[in-house]
Amino acid sequence: MIKVDASKCLGCFSCSNVCPSQNITRNETAEQRSVHWKKCKEECDLCVEFCPAKALTLVPFDESAPESLLTFDLVSCKICKSRYATMPMLKRIESVLPANLQKDSTGLDWIWICPVCRRSIEAERATKQMVLGRSRKSP
Amino acid sequence: MPVYVDISRCIGCRSCEVACKRVHGGKGHVNVHMAGDHASVPVFCHHCEEATCTMACYTGALHKDGERTAFDVEKCTGCGLCRLACPFGVVWSDKIAHKCDLCIGREMPTCITTCPANALSTDFELASRRARTRAAMIAAHGGRR
Repeated sequence: MIKVDASKCLGCFSCSNVCPSQNITRNETAEQRSVHWKKCKEECDLCVEFCPAKALTLVPFDESAPESLLTFDLVSCKICKSRYATMPMLKRIESVLPANLQKDSTGLDWIWICPVCRRSIEAERATKQMVLGRSRKSP
Repeated sequence: MPVYVDISRCIGCRSCEVACKRVHGGKGHVNVHMAGDHASVPVFCHHCEEATCTMACYTGALHKDGERTAFDVEKCTGCGLCRLACPFGVVWSDKIAHKCDLCIGREMPTCITTCPANALSTDFELASRRARTRAAMIAAHGGRR
């Protein structure tokens, strides 16, 4: 049976993706993501092996133990306010990247911006000079 | 070799977007953005030297292979960390991660061969060479009129 350390779990997709018998399910609404570990009797430790946070351990099967369910509030993008990731996942990104790469050349904290807005910012930056030049020619 | 864009040539037709989807089974890795009526630019993986996606990947699925930021589908668990670790938002993760692979196995990335405006190339110097040529042409014809 799987035991979850709630303080370590990132709320990522790893365990539910690698589980071969659908014993780990996730449910995502616009505002929350929950992961549900069913009571599992399989002799398999794929989820434990692939957990990025080492939050899972295998323990002997116990009929009386409750099933594990964790719910995460999704973090809102600083720009568009859409919810795009769990806080522990973003904290993890923050901890693995060197500090100099966490801000771009303009000092923007890109980790706290959703991928869709990151693409728009990149496009805006790339075209900025050109738009200025072209709008001078044809106002 | 990464793909470079000569933004002044991009016509915003989205051919690269479609071509990328076509060769990657419907999952594209190029996004064409419009900047009002004045410019457009395709946004895709830069194959960063210090690739933050590879730093966030804990299984080694995303890794540097020379200049390329390569992806090993066998090692991916679909955790979704790489998607959040890309500063440009050009790594996607739905069940499994996917990103620009520079069309490995093909002679040339399909976006380059498809672009009708010749805006894409693997030549970093091309855009500045074109600018110099234009400047020389103008000078030869007695300046701008």
